[in-house]
Amino acid sequence: MANREPGTGNRKAKPTQRGRVLCGLLVCWFLLPIHGLTAQQDTLNRAMTLERRGDPTSALAIYQAVLDDHPAEINALLGAERCLGVLNRGLEMVPVLQAAIVANPNSTVIDALAIRVWGVAEQADSIRRYAERWAQLTPQDESPYREWGGALQNMRDLVGARQAYLLGRERLNSPDALSPELAQLAIRSNDYPTALQEWLKAIHRLPGYRPSAVRTLSQAPDAVRPGLLRTLDLDQSPAARGLSIDLRARWGDPVGAFHRLQASLPPDSAESGDMLRNFLVTVRGINGADARTAQAMTLEALAERRTGVDRARLHLEAAQVYAEAGDRRAARRMLSSLSQDPDAAALQVGATTTLISLLIADGEVDEAARRLEQIKGSLTVDDYQRTRRDLAQGWIRAGALDKAQGVALADSTVEGMALMGRLRLYRGDVAGARALLKDAGPYAGTRAEATDRSSLLALIQVVKGDSLPALGAALLALDRRDSSAAVKGLERVAEDQPASGAAALRVLAGRVEAARGHGAEAERLFRAARVPDAPASAAEAELELGRLMISLNRLPEATEPLEHLIISYPESALVPEARRLLNVARGLVPRT
Amino acid sequence: MNRRRFLRQSSAVLAATWIPTILRTSWRIDAPWLLVPMDDVQTDHLKAYGVAFRVLQRGGRGEWFLNYRGGSFLLPADQLTARDAALAGVRVEPLDDDRLVRIRAEIQQGNMDAIPLEKPPRVAVYVPPNAPPWDDAVTMVLQYAGIDFQKVWDAEVLRRGGLAQCDWLHLHHEDFTGQYSKFYLTYAGAGWLADMVQRNTGMAKTLGFPSVPAEKRAVAQAIAAFVERGGFLFAMCTATETLDLALASEHVDIAAAFADGTPMDPDASAKMDWSKALAFQNARLELSPTLPSFSDIDGHQVNSPLRQPLGAFKLFNFSAKIDPVATMLVQNHRDVIPDFYGLTTSFTRRTLKPGVTVLADEAGAPWVKYIHGERGQGTWTFYGGHDPEDAQHQIGDPPTDLSLFPHSPGYRLILNNVLFPAAKKKELKT
Repeated sequence: MANREPGTGNRKAKPTQRGRVLCGLLVCWFLLPIHGLTAQQDTLNRAMTLERRGDPTSALAIYQAVLDDHPAEINALLGAERCLGVLNRGLEMVPVLQAAIVANPNSTVIDALAIRVWGVAEQADSIRRYAERWAQLTPQDESPYREWGGALQNMRDLVGARQAYLLGRERLNSPDALSPELAQLAIRSNDYPTALQEWLKAIHRLPGYRPSAVRTLSQAPDAVRPGLLRTLDLDQSPAARGLSIDLRARWGDPVGAFHRLQASLPPDSAESGDMLRNFLVTVRGINGADARTAQAMTLEALAERRTGVDRARLHLEAAQVYAEAGDRRAARRMLSSLSQDPDAAALQVGATTTLISLLIADGEVDEAARRLEQIKGSLTVDDYQRTRRDLAQGWIRAGALDKAQGVALADSTVEGMALMGRLRLYRGDVAGARALLKDAGPYAGTRAEATDRSSLLALIQVVKGDSLPALGAALLALDRRDSSAAVKGLERVAEDQPASGAAALRVLAGRVEAARGHGAEAERLFRAARVPDAPASAAEAELELGRLMISLNRLPEATEPLEHLIISYPESALVPEARRLLNVARGLVPRT
Repeated sequence: MNRRRFLRQSSAVLAATWIPTILRTSWRIDAPWLLVPMDDVQTDHLKAYGVAFRVLQRGGRGEWFLNYRGGSFLLPADQLTARDAALAGVRVEPLDDDRLVRIRAEIQQGNMDAIPLEKPPRVAVYVPPNAPPWDDAVTMVLQYAGIDFQKVWDAEVLRRGGLAQCDWLHLHHEDFTGQYSKFYLTYAGAGWLADMVQRNTGMAKTLGFPSVPAEKRAVAQAIAAFVERGGFLFAMCTATETLDLALASEHVDIAAAFADGTPMDPDASAKMDWSKALAFQNARLELSPTLPSFSDIDGHQVNSPLRQPLGAFKLFNFSAKIDPVATMLVQNHRDVIPDFYGLTTSFTRRTLKPGVTVLADEAGAPWVKYIHGERGQGTWTFYGGHDPEDAQHQIGDPPTDLSLFPHSPGYRLILNNVLFPAAKKKELKT
C-alpha cells in the first residue's frame, strides 16, 4: 500500500469521490423537501410570533408569501384569515380562497374556511354550496351544518341559521343533533323555552353540556323563569331534574333546590354522592344565608353517605357552615353527632372550637371556658388567646367583669391591652382606659375592632374627668346591649360635662336611639349636641341629624344641618359624607 | 324690655356670634372673579356645570374658557356663587383682574377661546310619565348637577307650540319606531313591558292615531320641526337611531306586526326616504321581530349575535376660534373615554350622512360614538350608549350613583350639550 503508484491511487479514488458526490446529491434530493418544509414551518412560526406581538400587517405579508407558492397551505390560509379579520379586510380572503380551492379541491378544512369567508362576504348561496359540498364528503358529520349555521348567524340571519341546523338534524337522522347550537341560537333570540328543550336534548346526549345550559339559561328574565321551571318539573328525566335543581339554586331558592335534589337522589351511593358534590360546588358559588344553609344541608347529606373520618370531617364542616348561616341549633346537632362518633377523635379540636363559639353566642360562657381549657394543648398560642378574648367578651356581656379581667391580665398582646382598657373604662377608670387604649393604637385586631376602639378613645378624650363610674356603667350597658340604660346613663353623665364632652356623649346617645328606631329622641339629642363650643361633636351631630332626617324621609329638614356643616366646618373630615347625604336629601342621587 | 330694644339687642348678639364665623368660612371670597378649573384639580366636574348654570339662572353672566384647563368657567365672585360651589364641593379659584388679564392673553395666543355665557337654556327631557327616574343618563346627570328641567312626552310634543317653551330637548332610550325597543316578544309578561305597552297604546288612541308606530312617527316629525325652528336636540342610546328611522320611514311600514297589526315591509330598507333623516342614510333594517336591533346603524349590536366588544373612543380636537360649537361639545379633562353599551351603542361610519360632524370615534373601528349636525336653524347631537358609568347596563340593574363618579368624562359630554345653548349666539359659527 505504501509503494502504490500515485496515479493508480488517484484512479481508484475518482469513482469513490464521484460516488460520494452522487450520494450527497441523492441525500440532498431527499432532504430538500424536508428542509423546505422546515423552512416553511419557521416562516409560519415567525408570522405567528408577529401576530402575537400585535403586528397583523407584517404577519399577513408572510402568510401571503407562503400562499403564493403553496395556495392550499392550511396554516397560512388560517393565518391570513385571522390577520385580515383583525385588519377589517376580511373580503380580501375571497381570491386567496379561490386559489386554495383550485389547488386542493377536496379539502374539508378549506370548505370550512370557504364557509366563513363567504359569510364575511355575506354570500348566503356560496355558504350553502360549500356546506353542501362538505356534507357530501362527510355525510355523518355535523360540522358542515354547524359552520353553515354559524356563518348565517354572523350575517344576522337567525332564521336561516336555524333552518341550516334543522336540515342537518334531518339529514343526519338524529333528533338531538346540533342541539347545543340550536339552544344557543334560541338564547340569542331570547327564546328561552326553546333553548331549554334543546339543552335538555344536548344534556341527554352528553351530560357535560349541563354547566353551559345552566350558565345560559340562568340569564333568563324573571318573567319566564316560572314557566321554565314548570316545564322541567313536568319532565321526569334526570337531565331535567338536574337542570331544575341548579336553576332553582341560582334563582334565589337554594334550600328548595336542595330538597328537590334530596328527593331525587338515587339509591346508588356513588351516583348520589356525585350529585351532592356537584350541588355543593353550585351553592358554594352563591352568596347569602340561604345558600350557606343549603351548603350545610348538602354537607350533612354527604356525611350520611360516608363512613369513618370522612363522615366526621363532613359533619364538622356542616356544623361550621350551619353556625355561619346563623342556625345554631343545627350546628349543635352536628357537633352532638360528632361527639358520639369514635372516628371523630382527630377532629375534636375543630369541633370543640366550633362548639365554644356556639356556647359563647348562647351565653354559656363558663361551659365554653371549660371546653377551651380541655383543648388548650392542641391550639396555637394565638388561637388560644383569640378564643380567650371571645370568652372575655362573653363574660362582659354577662356582667362578669372580674372573669373578663382575669383573661385580660393573662393576655400580653395589643388586643389584650385594648381589652384591659375597656374593662378599666367600664369600672369608671377613664384615665387608665385612655392610657391603655392609646397604647393599643388604631391597628390591632379586625377592622371593626380597631374602628370601635378608636371611636371609644375619641369619646373619652373629650370627656372631662379621670374617674367616671357612671360613664363606665353606661358604656358597659351599651356593650351588654341594654340600650335604654345606656342612653339614660350617657345623658346623666352629659349633664355634668362641659360643652365638648356633653356634646360627644349626646351624639353617642343619639346614635343609639336612632339605631333603636327612636327618631324623636335621637333628633332631640343630636340637636342638643349642635353647639358651637364643641365644633367636632357639633359637626358629627349635624351629620347624624341629616342622616336621621333622611332615614325618616323628612328630606327638606335634612338639608339645613348638612349645609351648615359644610359651610361652617369646611375643614372637617365629615364634609365629603355630608355632601353625599346632601345629594340624597336633595334627590340628586338615588337612595341606595 | 320693649320690642324694638329686644330686637336691637338680639341682633347685636347674633351679629357678635355669627358674623365672625361667617367671615371665617372658606366660601367668602374677596377677589372679583371665580375660576372654576375643569382640569384634574377639579373636585366635582359634573356639579361645576350646575354651579355655572345657576349663575345664569340668577341673571348673572359667565364665560366658558374653551380648551383652557379642561374647559374652565369664569364666574362672578358673589357670595351666592361661592356658597353654591362650597355646598356642591366644586373647587373654585379666586381670580383678581391682573391674573384674569394674563389668562385672557394666554387664551388669545393658543387654540382656546372665551365664550360668553349669558342665558340659561330652558331644558326639557322627553320621558314617559312614571318612568323610573334613574334609568336615563341625562336625567340623572341633570339632577346630580342641580340643573332644572321640565318633562315632556307625546301629548306635549304634539300640542301646537308644545316645544316652544324649551330651548334644549333631550331624548333617551325611547323607541320612535313604536316597537317598544323590540322587547315585546322576548319580555312578554314582564310588568314593566305591559305598563309601557298600555301607556303607549293609550296615548296613541287619545291623540287619534291608528297605532303606536304612527303616533311615534308624528312625534319624531314634531321633534325634527323643533330642530328646524332653531331648537337644540340631544339624543342618546336608541333614541338616536329610531328617531331617524321613524323620520325616514314616512311611506313604509317598518314596525313588526305586534306593534301595528301588520308585518314589516320586507323591502323596507330600499323604500326609506333618508332625506328626511337628521344623521343617517342607507341603513339596512333588521327584519326579525324578536331581535332587539333596529338596523345596521348601530355598530355594536349589543343584543344580537353580531355583538362587538367595547373599546374606547377618542374625542376630536377642534379649532376653538373657528369651530366653537364642536369645541364646546368636546370640552373634557380626558381625551380617551371607555366605551359603554346601549341598545344603540355607536353609529357605523357607512351610514353617516356627508355633512355630519364626528366629535368622537374609536380608532380603526367602523363606527363612531358622538356626532353633531345642523338642521334648519337648529342643531342636533347624538351620543351612542346608555350610561357612561355602567358599561354593560341591563334592564333591572341598580341605578348609577353619580356621587361615586364626580369626574366622569362620559357624563361631562352630556353637560357640555346642556350648557352650549347658553353661549352667546353670535359666537356660533358652525
